[in-house]
Amino acid sequence: MPVRVAESSAPSQVSGAHSEESSPPICSLLTVGQAFSGTQNVSNLQKEEAWRVNVRIQGCDLEHGYLCGTMEALNVPMADTPVVTFWEGEIVDAKNYTFYTGKWEATPEDDIRHWTKFPSFAPLLSRVEADGGKSLDLSNYPYIFMRWKEQYFVNVGTDCGLTIAGFYYVCFSCSDGSINGFYYDPNSSPFQKLELKCANEGRSGFSFSSYELQ
Amino acid sequence: MPTTTASAVCTTVGNNILLRLTSGERDVKLKALRELKNQIIGNRTKKLSFLKLGAVPAVAGILSDAVSAVDVADNDENDRIVKDIIVQSAAVLGSFACGFEAGVRAVLDAGADILIQRGCLVEEMPLLKSYMEVVDAGARSLKMIYQSKMAPKYDFLQEENMEFLLSLLNNESENVSGLGASIISHSCKTSLEQKLLFDAGVLKRLTSLLGGSLIQRDASLESIATIFKNNPEVVSQFVGPDTGRTLSCIIEIVKDRFARTRLLASLCLIVIRNASPCYLQDVGIKTKLINNLLELLDDPGRVGDEASFAFSSLIAEKEDMQKLAFEVNGVDKLYNHLQKGSLHPRRFEGILLALADMCSKLECCRSRCLSLQVLKLVVDALAHDSSDVRSAACMCLRSVSRSIKFIQNLSAGSFMNETIVIPLVRLLDDTSTAVQVAALGAISNIVVDFTTRRSTFIRLGGVKLLVQLSKSMDSTIRLNALRALRNLIFLAEDKCKEEIFMELTASLLASLICDPEPSVQEQALALVRNLVDGRINSVEYIFAEDGIILDAVGRQLRIASKAEIEIQGMYVLGNVATGKESHKEAVMDQLLLRAENKAQSCIIKFLQSNDSRLRTAAVWAVLNLTCSSSPGSSGRLVKLHDAGIVSHVKNMVNDPCLDVKLRVKTALEQFNSFDDSLILCIFSPAASNNKASTSCLQFLTVRAVGELSHVVDPSSKEEESIANYFRFSMKKNKKKKSTRTVKFCFDVPADSL
Repeated sequence: MPVRVAESSAPSQVSGAHSEESSPPICSLLTVGQAFSGTQNVSNLQKEEAWRVNVRIQGCDLEHGYLCGTMEALNVPMADTPVVTFWEGEIVDAKNYTFYTGKWEATPEDDIRHWTKFPSFAPLLSRVEADGGKSLDLSNYPYIFMRWKEQYFVNVGTDCGLTIAGFYYVCFSCSDGSINGFYYDPNSSPFQKLELKCANEGRSGFSFSSYELQ
Repeated sequence: MPTTTASAVCTTVGNNILLRLTSGERDVKLKALRELKNQIIGNRTKKLSFLKLGAVPAVAGILSDAVSAVDVADNDENDRIVKDIIVQSAAVLGSFACGFEAGVRAVLDAGADILIQRGCLVEEMPLLKSYMEVVDAGARSLKMIYQSKMAPKYDFLQEENMEFLLSLLNNESENVSGLGASIISHSCKTSLEQKLLFDAGVLKRLTSLLGGSLIQRDASLESIATIFKNNPEVVSQFVGPDTGRTLSCIIEIVKDRFARTRLLASLCLIVIRNASPCYLQDVGIKTKLINNLLELLDDPGRVGDEASFAFSSLIAEKEDMQKLAFEVNGVDKLYNHLQKGSLHPRRFEGILLALADMCSKLECCRSRCLSLQVLKLVVDALAHDSSDVRSAACMCLRSVSRSIKFIQNLSAGSFMNETIVIPLVRLLDDTSTAVQVAALGAISNIVVDFTTRRSTFIRLGGVKLLVQLSKSMDSTIRLNALRALRNLIFLAEDKCKEEIFMELTASLLASLICDPEPSVQEQALALVRNLVDGRINSVEYIFAEDGIILDAVGRQLRIASKAEIEIQGMYVLGNVATGKESHKEAVMDQLLLRAENKAQSCIIKFLQSNDSRLRTAAVWAVLNLTCSSSPGSSGRLVKLHDAGIVSHVKNMVNDPCLDVKLRVKTALEQFNSFDDSLILCIFSPAASNNKASTSCLQFLTVRAVGELSHVVDPSSKEEESIANYFRFSMKKNKKKKSTRTVKFCFDVPADSL
């Protein structure tokens, strides 16, 4: 009978080690540990506000089109402290996920309406309308499209007066790591914009760290 | 000589029997043999007692004598007794060997296996019906010997051995053919042997045995599995009209009424499937196998114990099989068995490993485990008496935590930090190396955490233990301890980093970077990479103790040949290059000045690597060194240009990898952003002409940053226009409050300026 021996030494894809290094990332700026900062404009009936937002990528599983991280909102009027949420992302790679959301109360029309707000989506529009973008080869396209959905509050209770019911349509630029997004929530004002830039946190240049799950 | 045994009665009886074995009268001997056989059958204690009394050599002696006394031609009363003696002594020896390792050893030491083979099975005996009893007894005994790991290795390469084996297989007696199959199952190990057996045509006979008695079927299934195991070549030759029949025969047997047969049939199919995935791809058969094995778990005996191991070999590394198993509630079923409690250690181990395999790739399985509260039982198993169970529990935890989503859910949920961390940390001190390694695996995943679990781990003394293990003589332990430390340091807070660094020390890190094992080097470099990331003052760590860590990194980069090591090393340098000016200069030092014999910088090799990850890392280092916001960047750019690095980067403008291409594009934009009136000139020292400054100067090379080298022919008229340009640029520079300077390599006549 096969007897399991403790797995030893070198990590390898064959052994199933989920390594951040073994398959190259689509873009080195969209990797674990990377930080982004910018603003989200929040509009309500009274006024326009902009919150400062910091995002950090914590997990990345390209094979399954999965990404996750935290989002920190600062100077939120209703809260005393910065509000941190944990979000999970779906990468539109035509393999795991397409441009059509198919959930979270977003219709295909909503999808197209939001994606077309990104200039970099324009060349893809006709193919997406035809077959959802399944025939597209996005591996060499310098933009990555994603949906980010906040899952829970990390440091405050759900009674903080903030909602995480919706999700973001996100466009990431591979060349400079800038992120643009639009929040979608049928019960909130439409097209609240998220604008982030890759942050190098006081360094001159970009620094990268990594971990490896066995 | 007789020794004392536990029971006085036994001693008396035992001695009595042994005495009678030495009798000159055959009748007495025969009776004694029968009595001995009845005493020891199924009785381990008695076997041990008689062993100590020297029974085995005594019986072997009797067998030897009897075999010599046999006269095949005769068939009278005397011969009958001799035959009986052979049968009984063979039976006794076989019984000693049955499931009793000390007995096997004694039997082999007495040369009884050869005796039995020669005495019962070779030459004319198998041909004579009257000797069938002898043959059968011999075969049965040998089979029991061959079930032991200690049995002698059968040499298939010898032609006469192969012939003998075939004769056994072709024999009608189920014991004899069963022996043939046993020999294959026991001794066939290498792919060469597998091929020999396959080519000798044993499969045909084995397939027909599938339709025989229970014994023949079971023995045949084991042999078939042995011949195919891990041998795609043999399996691929398994084509033709026979294949379908054999396979469908085995598939039928999966439904047999005997549990052991069902298990063996499943194992056989699994072996074939694993060796050559083009067989048995049908969803129906896959599901049948999964369900069969899950059902076999219900068997209370050894079959149930082994069923989970078979299940593991069916689903390991195969996401599609894991998904199918999940859909038939595999996780729940395994959990139900776990819940029964008081499990035999082998069974416990098997189920834990099966769960580990189920959760190795699929998030749905991990979530199911979390919601079923499987983890509590797994964590309890960390303290089990059996090291195999402890090890399996660690592997289960490792598998389940191989997902950042899961780790986040753990943090968000109610499963407490200490519940998992405390028992795992305890296992770092385990007596078994395998358990330590398995615990390290689980820990290295669990410490990738952005909440408090890290601090719990540190508070419990985890770091001290990890550092200790990173100094182990065992490279596997060193490697896995470093992996855990690397993950622990990832995005760690300053205070946490400081504690870890104090424990590790710069000298240990430096020596681990130069470890004899390449994978240890890789992890040490990855650790340093994480160490110097984060707040900018973290870069200082690499300069501790006179910069021994940085030196070690540079040294490894220059001699490494494995891409993974080079990638980590380049990222270390790249990260340090995002620091202050002095940090950047230190990196330049490592890349440029330390090359032996003025060889080209190692970074050029990396820029040309086939591995896109390495090219990316190298370009990032260049980008960071020439970052526009840093005052010293232009000077560094000049040096990189001189070393040929800039032109290599330029050549990568159409790199096939998108990420590399985009970085190179950014790099070029960065290069071009520097003042392009910067000119580097080398003047010939032999300027002897005293004419106007311009004509005194012999330009050997005029280089402009961002442009190709331009060699000037001193006799040409170019000289003047270049000189004018030069003077103009110098003026331009004087006007600008620029910190950029023109660099001179040789003496310049003072009046030329």
